[in-house]
Amino acid sequence: MGMNSHTSQPTPSGPPPALAVRGLARTYGEGAGAVRALAGIDLTFPTGTFTAVMGPSGSGKSTFLTCAAGLERPSEGRVVIAGEDVTDWSEEDRTRLRRERIGFVFQSFHLMPYLTAAQNVGLPQRLAGHRPDRKRVQALLDRVGLGDRAGHLPAELSGGQQQRVAIARALVSDPAVILADEPTGALDSATAHEVLALLRSSVDDAGHVGGGQTVVMVTHDPVAAAYADTVVFLVDGRIAGTMARPTADAVAGQLAHLDELVAEHSMGAAS
Amino acid sequence: MMRLALASLRHRATASTATFLTVLLGTALMGSFATLAQAATGPVSSTDQDTLVIMGAVVGGWGALIVLFAVVSTVGITVTQRETEIGLLRTVGATPRQAARLVRAETFVVAVVASAAGALLASLGGRALLEMLRHGDVVADSVRYQGGAAPAGTAVLIVLVSLLGSGLAARRGTRGPASITPSESARGSQRLRAWRVVAAVLLAAYGLAMGVVTVTVTAHDPDPYAAMSTSGSCAILVSLGLACVAPWLLRHLSVVAKPLLGSSAAAHLAAYNTRRRAHLLSGVLAPVVVLTAASVSVLMAVGTDSRTRPAGFEQDARTINLLNNVVVGMVVLFAAVVVVNTFAAVVAHRRAELHRLWLLGATPGQVESSVLAEARVVAGIGVVLGLVASLATVVPFGIARHEGVVPDGELWLPVVIAVGVVLLTLGSARSAVRRAAPSTGAVR
Ligand SMILES: Nc1ncnc2c1ncn2[C@@H]1O[C@H](COP(=O)(O)OP(=O)(O)OP(=O)(O)O)[C@@H](O)[C@H]1O
Ligand SMILES: [Mg+2]
Repeated sequence: MGMNSHTSQPTPSGPPPALAVRGLARTYGEGAGAVRALAGIDLTFPTGTFTAVMGPSGSGKSTFLTCAAGLERPSEGRVVIAGEDVTDWSEEDRTRLRRERIGFVFQSFHLMPYLTAAQNVGLPQRLAGHRPDRKRVQALLDRVGLGDRAGHLPAELSGGQQQRVAIARALVSDPAVILADEPTGALDSATAHEVLALLRSSVDDAGHVGGGQTVVMVTHDPVAAAYADTVVFLVDGRIAGTMARPTADAVAGQLAHLDELVAEHSMGAAS
Repeated sequence: MMRLALASLRHRATASTATFLTVLLGTALMGSFATLAQAATGPVSSTDQDTLVIMGAVVGGWGALIVLFAVVSTVGITVTQRETEIGLLRTVGATPRQAARLVRAETFVVAVVASAAGALLASLGGRALLEMLRHGDVVADSVRYQGGAAPAGTAVLIVLVSLLGSGLAARRGTRGPASITPSESARGSQRLRAWRVVAAVLLAAYGLAMGVVTVTVTAHDPDPYAAMSTSGSCAILVSLGLACVAPWLLRHLSVVAKPLLGSSAAAHLAAYNTRRRAHLLSGVLAPVVVLTAASVSVLMAVGTDSRTRPAGFEQDARTINLLNNVVVGMVVLFAAVVVVNTFAAVVAHRRAELHRLWLLGATPGQVESSVLAEARVVAGIGVVLGLVASLATVVPFGIARHEGVVPDGELWLPVVIAVGVVLLTLGSARSAVRRAAPSTGAVR
């Protein structure tokens, strides 16, 4: 595997990559208590690719996704979406951008408690001022295996079912970029396979206008990572390596190796 | 337990503020009028004694009903909002009894501080009231303030009522099995509890019965104010009855109101939130109903009285109108504070959820207008119910004074009051949502 910090370089003549970040850094807090969650990351995600982001807990994976989605402003660095630098856009403009071009699956689902599964899935379209496409909502719920739960409120669904509603919601407006934070964290292996296959097909699917969608998925599961084209490993807010065409075994091996590195690192820091 | 209670209080400043303000104002108002009754025990003429007792008892009595209702419902709201937290405590090993004790300890701390401050205000307010009565020649100049026993007694009473209210709510909140089923959930807490239905039926029936008595009995009394004394509180009673079943009313009437909201995303969200979580917003609906009913009915009755009063009752009229104005002022002030308060508490509680809307792609403007749309539903339904309730006073008194079912004048009054109440509700929603601005907080 290569230890370069770029998954791939955009070809100067081709279309711009769906998502790119340059020197991305994010520090929480100030002074002695400051936490450097991201310490300068360069990554490019060409259109139609599926990337998995892995790393120990607290390594900055969620921070990376929220900065890339424009939910959080980075302390340093740039976020470029489809060739446009959106880092300094106003709150209003970034909201519109997220609504129209990014689907986000949150680590903690974030369903609205008083809306049914189907209404939750249709919510992004509502917020964008459109009437939700009922057929599409139902089709997505069918795809994640919740066709018969469309009328249930989140409190009446299991954790894994709620997670699948959140995934269907992220896909509903057919966004160019899908950012998913541990989308299979609450799922059994069979359901996880369904969801990963769904994400995979949204990348490969030729039906999508302008080519496949681009998926960036945070995961702790080597089997899930094996669905991706590339795996990026994060440690302490830095890229610790990448792996192309991953297999579950190779990813697991690399993770074990990273754990050793982290253990050595923290022992070195302690002495 | 006390330390945990104090830490948790600091953490939920807005909700505690709601309880604090309600208890503070409630004690101040009730205590001031209790002072009048106490003044009657001093060396005063028997006429003055009657006047003071009537004012203290009648006004204080109406006021007490409203204040107690507000205290119980505010404490109830703040406790209900904590179901998640209580559930969490239970899962980490707190027994239902411990969890309930935490809730009671919290309420106790807030209520004691607030009612002590309220008693101080009441001793000043009581003096001011007496001064006003002496100045308006309602009682003799020799009537004196008789010390702080009445405000202090009121304070103790209100602390006890608050504890009762929190005890009721805590029992409901802590009884079930340990779980972290979020209070955000909609169904489940929707069933109307039996005491609410019973109280609603009793209050409304009593109010309506007094209306019937007005038309059939006191209308023919030689004392023109007999009819007012039987019909004056009918509307307030009926509105309190409606307030008891506010969650049920909101759930069903919001379905009717939905088409009026339009079809924006904010309207869509508001429609489902008011319907599926009526138990949260009904805390705001209740004071809106009472506020509208009390101010419309009393002011309309005063208008009818001034048009139809027989000659020779000027002195009575002065006392009674002073009384009426004080009642209206008191109810309006109090209900307005409760409306603003509960909205702040309800919205602050939903901070995380409003923030979530933003995460999902709502602009800050959409988040705000979804709360404002909810406020429109609540204000609209509340004003209509309040106007209906006010008929319980306006119609019988109108008939008794030979104006018929529709009063002969001041028909603009309900309109003005309705507009005022709607503006108050929308204004408090706006300020609540601005304070809970969803721009900060976790983003994942
Ligand atoms: N709002 C915040 N304030 C302060 N520190 C934060 C905040 N959010 C995250 N952090 C810190 O930033 C670091 C990275 O957090 P992040 O959530 O990105 O980790 P993660 O890789 O997603 O972990 P996990 O796998 O556990 O979800 C952590 O050390 C965390 O404590
Ligand atoms: Mg994370």
